[in-house]
Amino acid sequence: MDEWKPNPTVKPHKKRSWYLAWKYKLMNQRALRKLCQTGAVLFLLVTVIVNIKLILDTRRAAYEEEEESAQDYDDEMLNVEVPRHPVNNKKVLDVEVYSSRSKVYVAVDGTTVLEDEAREQGRGIHVIVLNQATGHVMAKRVFDTYSPHEDEAMVLFLNMVARGRILIFTIKDEGSFHLKETAKNVLKSLGSQVAPFLSWRDMWTFVGKKGGEVYGEKHAKSPALSTWGDPVLLKTEVHLTSVEDAECHWPDTELNRRRKRFCSKVEGYGSVCSCKDPTPIEFNPDPLKDNKVFDVPVAVIAGNRPNYLYRMLRSLLSAQGVNPQMITVFIDGYYEEPMDVVELFGLSGIQHTPISIKNARVSQHYKASLTATFNLFPDAKFAVVLEEDLDISVDFFSFLSQSIHLLEEDDSLYCISAWNDQGYEHTAEDPSLLYRVETMPGLGWVLRKSLYKDELEPKWPTPEKLWDWDMWMRMPEQRKGRECIIPDISRSYHFGIVGLNMNGYFHEAYFKKHKFNTVPNVQLKNVESLRKDNYETEIHRLLGEAEVLDHSKNPCEDSFVPDTEGKVYVMFIRMEQEADFTTWTQLAKCLHIWDLDVRGNHKGLWRLFRKRNHFLVVGVPASPYSSKKPSSVTPIYMEPPAKEEGAAAVPAVAAAEQT
Amino acid sequence: MQKINRNVVLALLSLTSLIFLLFQLCYYKFYLSQKNGAAFSKVRGSQSGQDSTRWHVVRKFLGLISSHNIPVYLIDPLILGLVDKDIEQIRSSPDGPSPECKYFCAPRDFTTFALLDKTWKHEVGLFRTAEKMGFQWLKIINKDPRLDGMDDLSGMEIPLHYIFKLASHAIHLVVFYERSGNFLWHGPLRLKQHMDRKFVPFRKLHFGRYPGAYEKPELLLVSIDDLKVQIPKNPSSFLEEMSHSRFLECRYREARAFFQLYPDDVSLDAVEFRKKAKSLLHLAALTLNNLGVKFWLSSGTCLGWYRQCNVIPHSKDVDLGIFIRDYKADIIPAFKNAGLPLKHKFGKVEDSLELSFQGEDDVKLDIFFFYEEDDHIWNGGTQAKSGKKFKYLFPKFTLCWTEFVELKVHVPCETLQYVEANYGPEWKVPVKAWDWKSSPFNVQDNGVWPIDEWDNVIQIY
Repeated sequence: MDEWKPNPTVKPHKKRSWYLAWKYKLMNQRALRKLCQTGAVLFLLVTVIVNIKLILDTRRAAYEEEEESAQDYDDEMLNVEVPRHPVNNKKVLDVEVYSSRSKVYVAVDGTTVLEDEAREQGRGIHVIVLNQATGHVMAKRVFDTYSPHEDEAMVLFLNMVARGRILIFTIKDEGSFHLKETAKNVLKSLGSQVAPFLSWRDMWTFVGKKGGEVYGEKHAKSPALSTWGDPVLLKTEVHLTSVEDAECHWPDTELNRRRKRFCSKVEGYGSVCSCKDPTPIEFNPDPLKDNKVFDVPVAVIAGNRPNYLYRMLRSLLSAQGVNPQMITVFIDGYYEEPMDVVELFGLSGIQHTPISIKNARVSQHYKASLTATFNLFPDAKFAVVLEEDLDISVDFFSFLSQSIHLLEEDDSLYCISAWNDQGYEHTAEDPSLLYRVETMPGLGWVLRKSLYKDELEPKWPTPEKLWDWDMWMRMPEQRKGRECIIPDISRSYHFGIVGLNMNGYFHEAYFKKHKFNTVPNVQLKNVESLRKDNYETEIHRLLGEAEVLDHSKNPCEDSFVPDTEGKVYVMFIRMEQEADFTTWTQLAKCLHIWDLDVRGNHKGLWRLFRKRNHFLVVGVPASPYSSKKPSSVTPIYMEPPAKEEGAAAVPAVAAAEQT
Repeated sequence: MQKINRNVVLALLSLTSLIFLLFQLCYYKFYLSQKNGAAFSKVRGSQSGQDSTRWHVVRKFLGLISSHNIPVYLIDPLILGLVDKDIEQIRSSPDGPSPECKYFCAPRDFTTFALLDKTWKHEVGLFRTAEKMGFQWLKIINKDPRLDGMDDLSGMEIPLHYIFKLASHAIHLVVFYERSGNFLWHGPLRLKQHMDRKFVPFRKLHFGRYPGAYEKPELLLVSIDDLKVQIPKNPSSFLEEMSHSRFLECRYREARAFFQLYPDDVSLDAVEFRKKAKSLLHLAALTLNNLGVKFWLSSGTCLGWYRQCNVIPHSKDVDLGIFIRDYKADIIPAFKNAGLPLKHKFGKVEDSLELSFQGEDDVKLDIFFFYEEDDHIWNGGTQAKSGKKFKYLFPKFTLCWTEFVELKVHVPCETLQYVEANYGPEWKVPVKAWDWKSSPFNVQDNGVWPIDEWDNVIQIY
């Protein structure tokens, strides 16, 4: 308005009067004024409404567009998510426990968590551990306390269970014969009134909280030696505690979250779940310098022995130069607990639907695991194959790192194995020494991808053939005269006592006394001499230097080898042709080494240690090294004892476990 | 008093409507920018461009992943397209400060990065830090295809894609896995039911509609827009590769069902043949890839892949297809140098060309050349003794990657149509007695070669 120039033709006052007049008119014409005002209000309201509508419209359009766009990306499989059951807020569990001669069962809130009515199985004390906050089953064990030493295992287990857990006991058939005082006292300390007086064929059930109240106990005495006590059924209620009370208060780290998940699910792993100073689950062993096996995948073949797997993975993850990212655990079956163990250590695990039965099942599991390993790590030239019942030596990867180039370069090699079949406490001495052997020991070994992909995988035994995979691999059709490299002192230790072809006696006789290297960073001696031709030179050198033992003495006697140290001795045994192992087997038997089949030979030569001396055995005349025999020496012949034929069959079957 | 009230009401209403108008404007702008991004790109005025949301989000993201030592590389096709134009300059001055924000400031909804699975350890810590920095993130997991081919193995599901969202910008992180056959694979992006469908406009993502197969890229560390990022050394070839990277997984479940009906031949002969066919295919692939000739599995070999994910043991040869436009005269000498002499050559480049090479121990490599017409594709056959010509018709197809006997190879994407055209609706039933002149479903007589041409079009060695 400032710049408005009054039009000279129009009188200012006239304009003003027009405006005033108009204003006056408006002010006076109330009706019109009102109309205008209402109009303005209406207009504003309409604007507001239109605005709101517009907003809604654009929003809907945007929404639809996104809906549409997302549709392309919908998962084709309609994973219908079953709505989770509302959290069970119930504070009381109904527990039913039954004990009788032929059947036991435990039901928690109507769900059977244990039922065993199989004949001739499951004898002894069944123990179930429940989480005191959730009521979930955390462990299930049976201790055949009719047999010796099982009560010790039970005590060990009960001591490992955390305070506050709910323990349920029930006896099937007989559970008192070898239940000793210590075990009875432990049961008593849990609150059992009856345990100290449990006797032959009594039936017994007990529910209690470790270090706390007793929820119920029932007992039926056996009236006579030849009869069992009447079946007992205990029904009781257990009050649950809050989740906070049932958990430890570890600092909130990634590791402890894994630990928490594990410890709230399973029991029986001891200090890994203790609230104060739990045992570590990450090990960070020293890395290896120039580690040639850092990128080699490690396949751990496992079944349902989670405690074994736990021990095995601990030793594996503590070995120097381990690369946890390359480890895959293959579990034969949909078992939860082994998977929990795998997750505790932050490793990856793969479950395998069981195919076939017994040995063939193991064999199919091996095949699937090996194929999967090479699929998951397509760059890998090798794979390390381990089993769940092995301890792994601290220098396992260092041993492989120093020797793996041989497997790559020497076509006459079949595998590198960490296990020496003949490496017992009294027959192995030198951690830096390697051998070439014609047998394939397994128990921690390296497989070449080309061997697997080109030869083994295409003709792997099919499920209907009930073969052992390792026996199959040892067959001449597969091995084709190739050899394996093994250390003198094994880099793995077979601790499994429960197994497909394994029992306590067998383990004690053949595995317990096996030597296991515990020295870190062993520098292997003369690795190049392990190549095909170099090895022959080396053997000839050794034989040339070796002192021939007195063949008139009995080789089983300790005095056969002089009381020296660090010397090389040789003896000659009779071996008519390549497959004649009569004398060797007898010698192996009296030396207390592996005698169930022939292991550890190289062209009719065996190498081991006796009294800290290198001890060579040459089979004459089958071995090409027979020429080293002085003409004056007559090879020793040992006759097999004329014995029951049947007895030999048992160990032969058992030998299959030697994998 | 009344009058004042009325005025106040009026003023209030005007104010409200004004606010609404402003709000609407803003909303509309927001909506538009979401829709195509470009509409309001001019808003960013400052020439340095450092105020752009996108640049900041990318910078934050790069900080996040470098603090966790995770090596990612840029695969965003739009940015790589721009980078490719200036590649010489970027290469020559890897550290120079850039005068303006050229690449990361164009407002887009996404920036795409790639991550090699084996180079990181799946630490949960990354996501915690991301959350602390204000990122929202989404993880898309699915079955591990490397275990899919295996009977009854169930591994953990693997992460295929991650999306990190901050403000209006999202980072799409595509996880690449190494597969047998020495290539990289990324999975499709499929949302599970409970997932937030509106987390980002998924349809606009450049990766994830289909799975993809790529060569392992060589990487180059560059500084663009003052951000240090790794990019494929040759962006243009990466973009080229991306345009036909679609990957087809073998139909393992159907293959298993097939073997239930017709148990696999595991005789020694079959094992031997498969081994030879595999090594022949590897050799052929190596030779053709070196020449830069695109080929695909055809006929029996393609059927073997589609039906049973393996070489058909009774097929006795390996069949490949090549478009005639990709034909090179070098093919024959190259195979000869690879130890595969020419066995016969039928037809000529203009018509019905077919080459056969002699592999080890009677395993033959047949290469059929395909001719494209407006509505179909065909290849030809010739009977040596009579000079008769045959024609095999196929519906049009495009090529996809797949993994076969530890090899990354092409197959027709429309495999079912291709196989059905060739073998008819009964292709699922194994046929051992096969006559190439009469058995194929799509064979047509195509006359006879003129006698005077025989010397040229029928060459047998």
